[in-house]
Amino acid sequence: MTTSLLMSKTRGIFKLRSSISFGYMYSVRQGGTYYFVKSYNAVPSPKELQDDLVRSFFFFDIIRGGLSSLSYLFREPVTINYPFEKGPLSPRFRGEHALRRYPSGEERCIACKLCEAICPAQAITIEAEERADGSRRTTRYDIDMTKCIYCGFCQEACPVDAIVEGPNFEYSTENREELLYNKEKLLNNGDKWEPEIAANIHADHLYR
Amino acid sequence: MERVLLVYEKILRKIGLEKFGNLIEIIRINDGPVNSLKKLTYYDDLKKGTLVGTDEFGNRYYNNNYYFFGRNRWVEYADHVGFNYDGSQVPPEWYGWLHYKTDYLPENDPTRPNYPWVLKPSENLTGTKAAYMCYSTTKPKIVVWTPQSKQKA
Repeated sequence: MTTSLLMSKTRGIFKLRSSISFGYMYSVRQGGTYYFVKSYNAVPSPKELQDDLVRSFFFFDIIRGGLSSLSYLFREPVTINYPFEKGPLSPRFRGEHALRRYPSGEERCIACKLCEAICPAQAITIEAEERADGSRRTTRYDIDMTKCIYCGFCQEACPVDAIVEGPNFEYSTENREELLYNKEKLLNNGDKWEPEIAANIHADHLYR
Repeated sequence: MERVLLVYEKILRKIGLEKFGNLIEIIRINDGPVNSLKKLTYYDDLKKGTLVGTDEFGNRYYNNNYYFFGRNRWVEYADHVGFNYDGSQVPPEWYGWLHYKTDYLPENDPTRPNYPWVLKPSENLTGTKAAYMCYSTTKPKIVVWTPQSKQKA
């Protein structure tokens, strides 16, 4: 409040002076003749003009600019304080991949390889074998996260909602090798994030 | 201390210095000037809000709609992590609330299943010994030949 008060005072002084001195300055050339845009009344002497220029450029403007900057110190910042405050995310956000399970705990993936086929970056590699109970399962489900372009085609293609792009985006790594995900890692992600993934799918169920 | 701050706050509000009154109130709510400085160092910000919940790791979640959208929900990471706080320390159950996906608190959210096989969440372990490193999940398709030479006499 005090800063805004100071600013308003200085603005008043500045306006008063500039209205006297700069009135005659602006002209427009049109078809060979000059038209004065502002009034021609008070023409200051060169000394007055010099004084005014010096004052406005080196004193008033700087103080007003400084006060304007100072006022931002007391305003609410427009940025968010990231690890403590987080920005809004959509339930459709496509982040880190995860392989989901059925509520019983059985893994969903049936190794149909539709995700591998549709992946435009060819980031997915799948190998399948028959499991001991006769069901078709993957033995290898690798996603190269450095190749992935996060288009979400894999989760669109999946007939059993097994591969999903979860909500997590905080998985940056120090090594490249850590981003070459295998089946264990993907299932692990799914097991950790299932409550959030299920909530996201439910939030979007009217549009699917 | 708290009573002194309350008096100052009331005086400042009386004489029209609303913002300074708010500042004193925030310091008062954050347990005095010393603790406020400590919080300012750890969390880069000093705010007032209502504690809406605590998770299993000890992270505290606050809400105050006085601040604009995007700043009105925040987390104070558990005290024992100190400066080693990380965004990934927020568990999935609070993730949706903190990211404004839902207005339900985790315990009230009906769409959030809790299966017995759900694992305990962990933070991003990169740079530690527990970090994930890729490995093959299949048997190798070729057998590497190891030459066996006879012992020469």
